[in-house]
Amino acid sequence: MMMRMRSLFVVLALGFAAPVQAGGILTLAQAQDPASYDPIDTFLISWGQIGSNVFDGLVQRGADMAIKPALATSWEFLDGGARMRFKLRQGVTFQNGEAFDATAVKFTFDRLLGPDGAKGPQQSNYNAIGSVEIVDPFTVDIVMKRPDPVILTKFAGYGAMIVPPKYITDVGKDVFKIKPIGTGPFKVVDYQPKVSLTLEPYAKHWEGISKLDKLIYRFIVEPDTQVAELQAGRIDIATNVPVSLVPAIEKTATLKVESITGPSVTVLRFNTANGITKDERVRKAMIMAVDRETIVKTILQGHAKTVVSNQSALSFGFDPNQKPVPFDPAGARALLKAAGIAPGTPAQIDFQSNNPLFREVAQAVAGYLTAVGLKGGVKGYEMNIMTNDIIPNGKTAEMFQFGWGGWTFDYDNTAYLLYHSGERWNPYDKDPILDKMLEDQRLSSDRAQREKLLQGVAHYVADHALEIPMYNLNTIFGVNKRVKGLVPPADNRFRLTDVTVD
Amino acid sequence: MKRLSPDLLLGGIFAGGMALAVLSSGWTFPDNGEAMDLTARLRAPFADWAHPLGTDPIGRDVLARVVAGGWVSLTVGMLSVLGASVFGVFMGLIAGYFGGVWDLVVMRWADVQLALPFILVAITFTAILGADQYFLIMFMIIAQWVQYARVVRASVLSLREREFVQAARAMGLIDLAIIWRHILPNAFGPVLVLMTLNIANNILLESSLTFLGLGIDPITPSWGGMLADGRTYLQTAWWVSVFPGVAIMMMVLGLNLLGDWLRDRLDPRGG
Repeated sequence: MMMRMRSLFVVLALGFAAPVQAGGILTLAQAQDPASYDPIDTFLISWGQIGSNVFDGLVQRGADMAIKPALATSWEFLDGGARMRFKLRQGVTFQNGEAFDATAVKFTFDRLLGPDGAKGPQQSNYNAIGSVEIVDPFTVDIVMKRPDPVILTKFAGYGAMIVPPKYITDVGKDVFKIKPIGTGPFKVVDYQPKVSLTLEPYAKHWEGISKLDKLIYRFIVEPDTQVAELQAGRIDIATNVPVSLVPAIEKTATLKVESITGPSVTVLRFNTANGITKDERVRKAMIMAVDRETIVKTILQGHAKTVVSNQSALSFGFDPNQKPVPFDPAGARALLKAAGIAPGTPAQIDFQSNNPLFREVAQAVAGYLTAVGLKGGVKGYEMNIMTNDIIPNGKTAEMFQFGWGGWTFDYDNTAYLLYHSGERWNPYDKDPILDKMLEDQRLSSDRAQREKLLQGVAHYVADHALEIPMYNLNTIFGVNKRVKGLVPPADNRFRLTDVTVD
Repeated sequence: MKRLSPDLLLGGIFAGGMALAVLSSGWTFPDNGEAMDLTARLRAPFADWAHPLGTDPIGRDVLARVVAGGWVSLTVGMLSVLGASVFGVFMGLIAGYFGGVWDLVVMRWADVQLALPFILVAITFTAILGADQYFLIMFMIIAQWVQYARVVRASVLSLREREFVQAARAMGLIDLAIIWRHILPNAFGPVLVLMTLNIANNILLESSLTFLGLGIDPITPSWGGMLADGRTYLQTAWWVSVFPGVAIMMMVLGLNLLGDWLRDRLDPRGG
């Protein structure tokens, strides 16, 4: 009884305290709760969507993908690029009132590159950094251990988001990860794990206060539920809309579909170490056997583009002149015959069973493989098992689904981690030539030359048929038309400062 | 002549009809419903004779898949129940007839198993091992023999004190012969009812696990797998999941009706 009384009071109090709506309340559904909001803990897009609103980096990337000043107002390269000097913005405070200065920058990177960061996945993205040196309270030097051509972009997100030193030292990591504090435009006011995260604008943000009154993320796993909630008007933006549900949104008058080029590319990688796919001819035959254009046109309903390498057209290292392997079932049959593959030899695709769209794609690919005389099969694995055991430990069948985000839009971020020997995501290949190519481009400081080298990697991977390049899937959002001022960026990391809801 | 029970009639039509369609699928749909045609995806049902029940998201014939998909369900349902009942009856006979320490061991084992949430255990195991249908069958046998053992043990406890069993013993028959000739036939009625109902249960269970993506390769048609195929199309292409749903319903309803009829027939107090 006491409890009920108390909750009644809370409801009343809230009812009276509600301010007049100006910018409105935006409710956004996403599939996943990142669970830890600490920037060093995660590589999830779901984190990026939220983190971009809570935190700031030294620089930021706009919806047009250009790098702009953020917590740093300007920067210059010294010592031939080995040292970067950042001038910091003055008068910035964290959402708890703590002042932002060079100490915070140093603390952030020391933490990222130290033992704390070593426990998370972000450190490896930044370990080209040697040290951070404070020049004066508003000037820092970042000294590189070795060149990283993408480092400036990497300062715009994820692990490089600036965190408050005093707050983290006081409350400890376990509190920080569920009650994050940044300098960003929105501060977290309530967190219900796996249910919702509520944010309010940070009044003293250096870009000025955001227009919304409140920003609520709801974690809804099922895409159908997201769309049903969108249709019912209980959420304003659904971020996980499968292609199959696009017509359902289109026929609702108050809703619209935003289908934009996304960062994620899907490929089917081969088990190049064992079985029939050890033979390059067999891999080539399988690539020729699959009609990817038709898959994109039918199953994906045009919400994707076929790719020739594991990167989108937006990526640095993309070669517009690289030609796809044409669909050629007769040629595939001839190659399989030349390789001595008996008709009916099984070729299995391992995939993540929670992905209904790829479940269809996988079955279609298996159908194409069956059509050229193999016995195409598919096997679904639970996501964690697939990403923590089956792939890194090299337990896959002939082929396995591989989707890669690549928010930096630089092919290095994909190619090095997927093709260099000994990397976690490269369980099978050990190719000294490819290793050398990947290392060389990292050492190159000349932009044009590095682009050439990366394109060379893409050609090499295609020539040796290490994967079936499938498609670059659009990110499809369902949006209520009452949401105004939304510019969905290609990296999915919405910054919702200018959005309003009617 | 006795009036034909509506349970028997309807149950026979539903379950029998479905079983007949499934068993003949090898002749009616020799491609096993696996032939795909991406250009003919999501055709609506009742529109053309090539695909009377429409096509699924990768252009496979829904009718062919519904009919061929029954194979998996029936195999899993039948084999799991057969295995569980044989093992369970055997254990129940031992526990009930010999009693004492046998009874104690078997029944405590059974108690422990009944305390385990089977579906959760099954989901965990299939998620880790990526199980196939034979694994599912094994799992159902392990989980369900207990029910048969308890039912049989209860019957045996009363049967072994009855006069005809005492008489058989007095005439010097060995235990095995008494069990086989006198006890088993009299204890078998409830087992038969349980089997019928459990086939239905296991078909549902197999469908649920396959729906969750944990059972069978999605290329091989199965009712649960088809439900999963159509999951994101409920608003736009209902036929992909509704027809396999109807198939599951008819099969399970039919089996349950047959089970009810069987129970009424075998229950001496019933009509």
